Amino acid sequence: MKRYFHKELTELKNKLILLGEKSHEVVHLSIEGLLENNIEKVNEAYGMDDYVDVLEMEISHACIRYMSLRGPVSSDLRLLVVALKASKDFERIADEAHSIAQKSYRLLTTEGSLKNALNLSEMGTLACQLVNDSISCFVEEDIDKAFLILKKDHEIDAINQKHFDTLSNEASRDEMSDTARFNTMLISKSIERIGDHAKNIAGEVIFLLNGDQ
Amino acid sequence: MNVNFDIQGKQAEPSKPPKPVIKTKNLDFAYGDSQALFNISMDIFKKEVTAFIGPSGCGKSTLLRCFNRMNDLIDIAQIKSGSIRISDIDIYNKDVDVIELRKHVGMVFQKSNPFPKSIYENIAYGMRIQGVKNRSELDETVESSLRGAALWDEVKDRLNKSALGLSGGQQQRLCIARALAVKPKIILMDEPCSALDPVATAKVEELIHKLKKHYTIVVVTHNMQQAARVSDRTAFFYLGRLVEYETTEQIFMNPKNSKTEAYVSGRFG
Amino acid sequence: MKSDTNKQTTHLFSQRFSRNKVMELSITGILRFFTYLVIVLAGYLFLDITYNGSKAVFTKEAPFVNFQFLTEKPQTLHVFEPADIDTQLKSAKAEILTKSIKRRALSNSNYEAAEAFTLAIKDLNKEVKELDDLRKERRLMFSDTEYRALATTPSTKDFVYSTYAYSGGGIGPAIIGTILLVFGSILIALTLGVLCAVYLSEYSKPGKVLQSIRLSILNLSGVPSIVFGLFGFGLFVLYLDWGVSLMAGWFTLALMALPVIITASEESMRAIPKGFREGSLALGASKWTCIRTNVLPYAMPGILTSSIMGIARVAGETAPIMFTAAFALRDRLPWEGLENSTDFFFQGVMALPYHIYVVSSKIPQNEYTQNMQYGTAFVFLLIVGLFALSSIILRVKVRKKYDW
Ligand SMILES: Nc1ncnc2c1ncn2[C@@H]1O[C@H](COP(=O)(O)OP(=O)(O)OP(=O)(O)O)[C@@H](O)[C@H]1O
Ligand SMILES: [Mg+2]
Repeated sequence: MKRYFHKELTELKNKLILLGEKSHEVVHLSIEGLLENNIEKVNEAYGMDDYVDVLEMEISHACIRYMSLRGPVSSDLRLLVVALKASKDFERIADEAHSIAQKSYRLLTTEGSLKNALNLSEMGTLACQLVNDSISCFVEEDIDKAFLILKKDHEIDAINQKHFDTLSNEASRDEMSDTARFNTMLISKSIERIGDHAKNIAGEVIFLLNGDQ
Repeated sequence: MNVNFDIQGKQAEPSKPPKPVIKTKNLDFAYGDSQALFNISMDIFKKEVTAFIGPSGCGKSTLLRCFNRMNDLIDIAQIKSGSIRISDIDIYNKDVDVIELRKHVGMVFQKSNPFPKSIYENIAYGMRIQGVKNRSELDETVESSLRGAALWDEVKDRLNKSALGLSGGQQQRLCIARALAVKPKIILMDEPCSALDPVATAKVEELIHKLKKHYTIVVVTHNMQQAARVSDRTAFFYLGRLVEYETTEQIFMNPKNSKTEAYVSGRFG
Repeated sequence: MKSDTNKQTTHLFSQRFSRNKVMELSITGILRFFTYLVIVLAGYLFLDITYNGSKAVFTKEAPFVNFQFLTEKPQTLHVFEPADIDTQLKSAKAEILTKSIKRRALSNSNYEAAEAFTLAIKDLNKEVKELDDLRKERRLMFSDTEYRALATTPSTKDFVYSTYAYSGGGIGPAIIGTILLVFGSILIALTLGVLCAVYLSEYSKPGKVLQSIRLSILNLSGVPSIVFGLFGFGLFVLYLDWGVSLMAGWFTLALMALPVIITASEESMRAIPKGFREGSLALGASKWTCIRTNVLPYAMPGILTSSIMGIARVAGETAPIMFTAAFALRDRLPWEGLENSTDFFFQGVMALPYHIYVVSSKIPQNEYTQNMQYGTAFVFLLIVGLFALSSIILRVKVRKKYDW
């Protein structure tokens, strides 16, 4: 039997997906803005953060409300826990994207453009894809896709490590200013964090789907 | 900050301010020498579900039975002071006809009490005692009440069978249907699910949720979960006093009173 | 080895001797003994009445029921005993008497002579029995009507003639009278009793007054029935000038049954679940509507069954109708010879219990009257049994219908 309050769960789910999409959009905009040297996109990404924060708060409120009033158990309870955690992750993703936008703005305004020596483009696309996949594995309840995300995250980590090496050697010190190097490094780090959060979400989806920790 | 979708899933915050229908003011009530209710003041709002919770013997049923003057049946029961106004009429005034009051304020009891008659006659009872004889009118009311109580599909083929043959949950919904048949505006339910299994309970809860569109409902319950699930507002009673009366969300997520907090979190006593 | 067997015989749950156990057993024994005693006594009573009574009520031939006995009016019995056998019998009996007196005189001194007398008495007893059977065969018995219809009465030379009041004919009017009395008093007692009970249990405020009313009603059932008889005689027969009549009997019996009925009715009404009352009141029923639709219908079966039993009990009393309603003999049936219809209520009737009383206390007892006494008692038992049975059937049927 479907109870009248079960639609609150559906609403919650939809809201979570919306949050995921919003944070994906922020990531996408900020990275695209950086790669295309497009200040407008970067600005747009920079402004979207508040919206995501509100959404995240609503989700956590709805979760707590549902937990205290409806007495959820089993898969419902898992969904709520996952929603709580995943919304936090999405919010963090959006935060990281926000800081990418911030750093990009600085880079673009001081240096004029990003030095193409790095593999930021591939890394950014990968992160975008991971975020997207983490949403779709939740929507489609696709556990295989979730496991795939766990693997792909390592690629991002590897790229990030490479960036670190590149930016810390002597050659790059001549090529770029210190600020640019630091900012670039932070951007790379943020992208790597985004990947981590996507990985977390994937882990939560796995928990949601089969109940194992 | 422009948020273009509203915050969904929040109950008890309808757009227009809720309208109180039952206004209890400083009510003191006693059974003989022992006082059962102390200085109760509360407004019950129109087309909302209000839940009464509290430990056994705290006076929930007593207050509920004050609302349709069922306490008149108990000789030693008396209101010592205070008033109860329903739709701005003092129901304990001399010129109030109890019969009319009870038609307006229906009641469903803890133990389902279908009469040992057919299902049809059970529902028609309230109309028959008002002198309705017209068969088609009776038929119509019986059907609409049974539909209202979400029981029609289950019993439509056995209307002339004894109501005692129904399951416990069905009997309770039959009693709700019977109360609906006299077209009340307010329905009082005293622990309507206390004797029911979870499925039957869920059905009754669904029903309460559905009925709230048209009726004002007051429900006494010992099941905290139930109060949380069905009600818009919750009143916590303790030792004949109203300790806290707030929106259900407030009571269950962030009660002001430490006693309420202890009670709803099961740390009482 | 020894401890081994010990272990086997006394385990944790093995039987142990204790004082409690002895007490238990002896109490069970005592209870069982007295119960069986009561059953044996009651059984003897019923069997005796049934055995002797069925001789009067049933016959050996085709219809097997003695309809005459059940329908005819009581009459004087005319008995003709064959004279020769009668004299023989009388002399034999006289001899037994003299012999037994002699034997008693001898019994201490001469043991052998006494023994001889004993044997002789035994022989004589046998002879008496044979003569008695013979006499029964040749005896002529007529009820009054038969006697009058005889063309020639048996000659007094061959027969010894005697008459016995009320011992011939049947008990038709008494059966009809009893049934009339029972139904009338049921009607009156039920109406009065139920009205009282409804007021007492539903309307009156509980308190000292109600308690004392209840108590006095209960005490009423302890008043001896003869007092009711005298009260009815004083009030209905004399003061209201109804005479010895059905009406007076009805009211007297009804009054007597009232305590039982009121108590039973209150009990039945109290047994109706509170939920029915609250349910109907909460739907806007007035008090009377609630009682009419939701209390009385469900209480009625209980009221009826216990009331019927109560009345059947009361109807067996002789004392209350003795002065108020019953005639020792009335050979007109109640509907015969009425001048106007109200006369029906103001006539006396015969009744079975009073008839039993009359035939067993007002006339000398002998073998000719026995038939009538036992027959009447048996018929009366049957009627009471019928009432009890009907009330049981009613209860069972209703149980099935209302099962809450
Ligand atoms: N008919 C009565 N006569 C006397 N005292 C009563 C009566 N009914 C209730 N009381 C007393 O009034 C107090 C409140 O009783 P009430 O039935 O309202 O409690 P409640 O909150 O409904 O308890 P529960 O949850 O057990 O139903 C109790 O102390 C009870 O003993
Ligand atoms: Mg109660």
